[in-house]
Amino acid sequence: MSARYRVRWTKEGRTRFVSARDQSSIWERAIRRADLPIAYSEGFTPHARVSFPDALPVGVASTGEYAELTFAAPIRADDALARLSATLPEGMDILTYTEVPAGAPKLASLLRATLWELVWPPVDATALTTLLEQRCDTLLAATTHEVVRHRHDGDRTLDVRPAVVSLAVATGPTPDGSGTRTTLRAVLRNDAPLIRPTDLLVALGDGEVAPPHLVRRVAQGVPQDEGLVEALTGVVETVRDDIVAEAA
Amino acid sequence: MLGALSAVRADALLPGREARAAHRSGLGAPTPPSVLEHLEPLLPEVRKPAQYVGGEHNMVTRDWAGADVRWLLCYPDTYEVGQPNQGIQILYEILNGRPTTLAERAYAPWLDLEERMRERGIPTFSLEHHLPLWAFDVFAVTLPHELGHTNLLNLLDLGGVPHRSADRDLADPVVLVGGHAAFNPEPLAPFIDAAVMGDGEEVVLQIDDVMRAAKHDGIDRAALLRALADVEGVYVPSLYEPRYTEDGRLSRTVPVAAGIPTLVPKRTVQDLEQWPYPQRQIVPMTETVHERFSVEIFRGCTRGCRFCQAGMITRPVRERRPETVQRLVEEGVKDTGFEEVGLLSLSSADHSAIAPIARSLGDTYEGTVTSLSLPSTRVDAFNVTLSNELTRNGRRSGLTFAPEAGSERMRAVINKMVSEEDLLRTAEVAFSQGWRHIKLYFMVGLPTETDDDVLAIADLGIAVYRIAHAHGKANKVTLSVGGFVPKPHTPFQWAAQDTPEEINRKLGLIRQRIRTHDGIRVRTNDPEEGVIEGLLARGDRRVADAVERAWRLGARFDGWHEVPTLPLWRQAMAETGVSLDWYSQRERDEDEALPWDHLDSGLEKGWLWEDWQDARTAVQLDDCRWSPCYDCGVCPGLDLVHDTGYQPGALLPVVATPPADLGGASGADLPTSAERYAATTTSVPEVAR
Repeated sequence: MSARYRVRWTKEGRTRFVSARDQSSIWERAIRRADLPIAYSEGFTPHARVSFPDALPVGVASTGEYAELTFAAPIRADDALARLSATLPEGMDILTYTEVPAGAPKLASLLRATLWELVWPPVDATALTTLLEQRCDTLLAATTHEVVRHRHDGDRTLDVRPAVVSLAVATGPTPDGSGTRTTLRAVLRNDAPLIRPTDLLVALGDGEVAPPHLVRRVAQGVPQDEGLVEALTGVVETVRDDIVAEAA
Repeated sequence: MLGALSAVRADALLPGREARAAHRSGLGAPTPPSVLEHLEPLLPEVRKPAQYVGGEHNMVTRDWAGADVRWLLCYPDTYEVGQPNQGIQILYEILNGRPTTLAERAYAPWLDLEERMRERGIPTFSLEHHLPLWAFDVFAVTLPHELGHTNLLNLLDLGGVPHRSADRDLADPVVLVGGHAAFNPEPLAPFIDAAVMGDGEEVVLQIDDVMRAAKHDGIDRAALLRALADVEGVYVPSLYEPRYTEDGRLSRTVPVAAGIPTLVPKRTVQDLEQWPYPQRQIVPMTETVHERFSVEIFRGCTRGCRFCQAGMITRPVRERRPETVQRLVEEGVKDTGFEEVGLLSLSSADHSAIAPIARSLGDTYEGTVTSLSLPSTRVDAFNVTLSNELTRNGRRSGLTFAPEAGSERMRAVINKMVSEEDLLRTAEVAFSQGWRHIKLYFMVGLPTETDDDVLAIADLGIAVYRIAHAHGKANKVTLSVGGFVPKPHTPFQWAAQDTPEEINRKLGLIRQRIRTHDGIRVRTNDPEEGVIEGLLARGDRRVADAVERAWRLGARFDGWHEVPTLPLWRQAMAETGVSLDWYSQRERDEDEALPWDHLDSGLEKGWLWEDWQDARTAVQLDDCRWSPCYDCGVCPGLDLVHDTGYQPGALLPVVATPPADLGGASGADLPTSAERYAATTTSVPEVAR
């Protein structure tokens, strides 16, 4: 009897430089180390049945990665997934899981929006926050806002506005307390055309803002006013609360 | 621009030489600055960034302050090529097994990252803690071939370390090289502090002892190099000088300090059972050339292929016990999660117990997704049977055989003892048992080769293809043809190397002949890479100027198609007066001294010369595992024995003097595996001495 589980996991620290292509073999090997009865695909080269809904750009951190695992036999999920989490490389941790009942909607259909977080180094924090706040207000007040995305296969014009659910900017202390830094949080819809934080920053920064020190995908789920409902736990993640708490 | 860090160079990463000393003292030394913070912003911009972050399963992270000797182990190529190297992984595990020794790993950054590192002053770094090369006590570089020489210079320079040994002092790491290309380190002589000959397991611990004592006693660098030269198997080039005759040939390389050995012997681990490493193998987080759990099932080879440097310099044969292989594989697969297991050696089908090893592993992994593979140079039906055993799970895609030459005469010259009849019968067996693709390895440019010998490669390929086609229209045959490069310590060390133009002409002959056969693919290496390899393989100390110049001109990654460095090398040779003709395309005579004559691989030069004469008259020589000893010189010369189970029950005398306990898996006085085979078949495990 097979069993399907969905997990939310992190891709932090060094592992944020792992490509989507390499991610699969990292998980397959970790699953074998944890000795879990993963199911395999049929065919000439069988693959472990682990699927990831979408790829994260290389270099971006995340506490909002998801995966679906199909096992060939029942498992004691709490113990088994804890072992898996422990043997994944440092920076990759399983945060939570749910068993998938038969007939459940597809995982991708639950991941309709993403809460992103962009953090700048402790430079010009007050001025930067002020500038970004103004730009955020302007963007939210507009009905369209086109940006050009430069790619090796040519430029593409995108309207970022439809994807924007909510935005928040704040100045808060650095983790070591030695300075202040700017944090921007944004809930963006995952519907096509997919808007990445880099596109958002083109719209907001307009060439006057340096690239952030760190970009993080915080969580994914169903968008609602000022936030989203996280896909596996149903917990509401708001775009503003966290950031204000951090700033306080 | 708001929120931008000012673009200052990371000066703290390359402090002045005085400031370095504190980080290099013994226990309690402060950890040098990590480059990670400066590196991370660059990584999204470069190719395959995961190769630079470390963090793999089984990575070992030791505390800097808790160690008193610190090694940086390096494979001078990209991570994807270097990470699977077994030598580095063995030494990593052995050195980190010592309580107060620390070993981290480094690889060469690709050009895109190097450019950005140089702009910002980020030095060569380790993967474990991203610590700079200049802070380590020992920079130990493995040279499996000659095409990493310019990378070695580049890594030193990038790491803030003077690339010439004479310019280094106690503020710098000691630069060691090992591996097969270290059997002629002369083209690197001015750049390295020492070359380590042969098996590394025991000697690295002795070097570690010397380093610890040297740091403790505060001896100067000259005294340290002198102490290293006293370790058996360690060659310190600055303590030797080459002497040349009037016509520019080498007459001798002589020690120039008292008490330095005139002949440096290689190190040989007699009993592999004492060194069951690497066990906790690194599991890469990004793609590499070999992603598998590898177990070396034996070391050395006595097939006597005359072109093969590895087979000559790693003698004698020393086998690992079948039970040990089984245990290492089972534990390793569990520990790493690798899907593939490689049974490594120079010719794995020649292990005396390979059939039971394959059967037992086949039983263990039948019905699982774990696959097994082994490299083999045998061309016979047994090889097919063995491959069938290893692929019970049903993956029968391709088999590889290495006849190496096309004609019977040419195979006699190179001592590759396989007949055309054998090969065709083997192909018949393979295709009839469901294999769909056969790949055949050949070389052109071999000594005494004629165009008929070259065309025989194409004809053999066509004959194999006819068999393939008879068993299935979709079956394929690939001919992989490389240009031969003569190597030191082989019977072909005196031979002339073909020019790349001549190699290309010969490859053209093959392509022309098989043109009408669509099912045969021909794959060739770029013959130009053989030019640099050939020059460095047999070059003497005068070639070092060309190495330095080529590197200055920008040569690195000499083995990569993406980086065409031959024009730089040709310019460097012209500017430094190094003649490629003279070094590579000239046949040497018996009296000429060779740049590696003072480095003893165990083989008698007289025997090599006889074997060279036999080669030229196409006289073959048997494998001494199954036939009487022909006195190549290795066993008695180095006080060694073959360690195989070919004659279970029979006791081979142990003439080796075991080294003192160096921290291997157990005491030094263990029986060899031949003795253990004997012990398991008789009731008295007593060994006659």
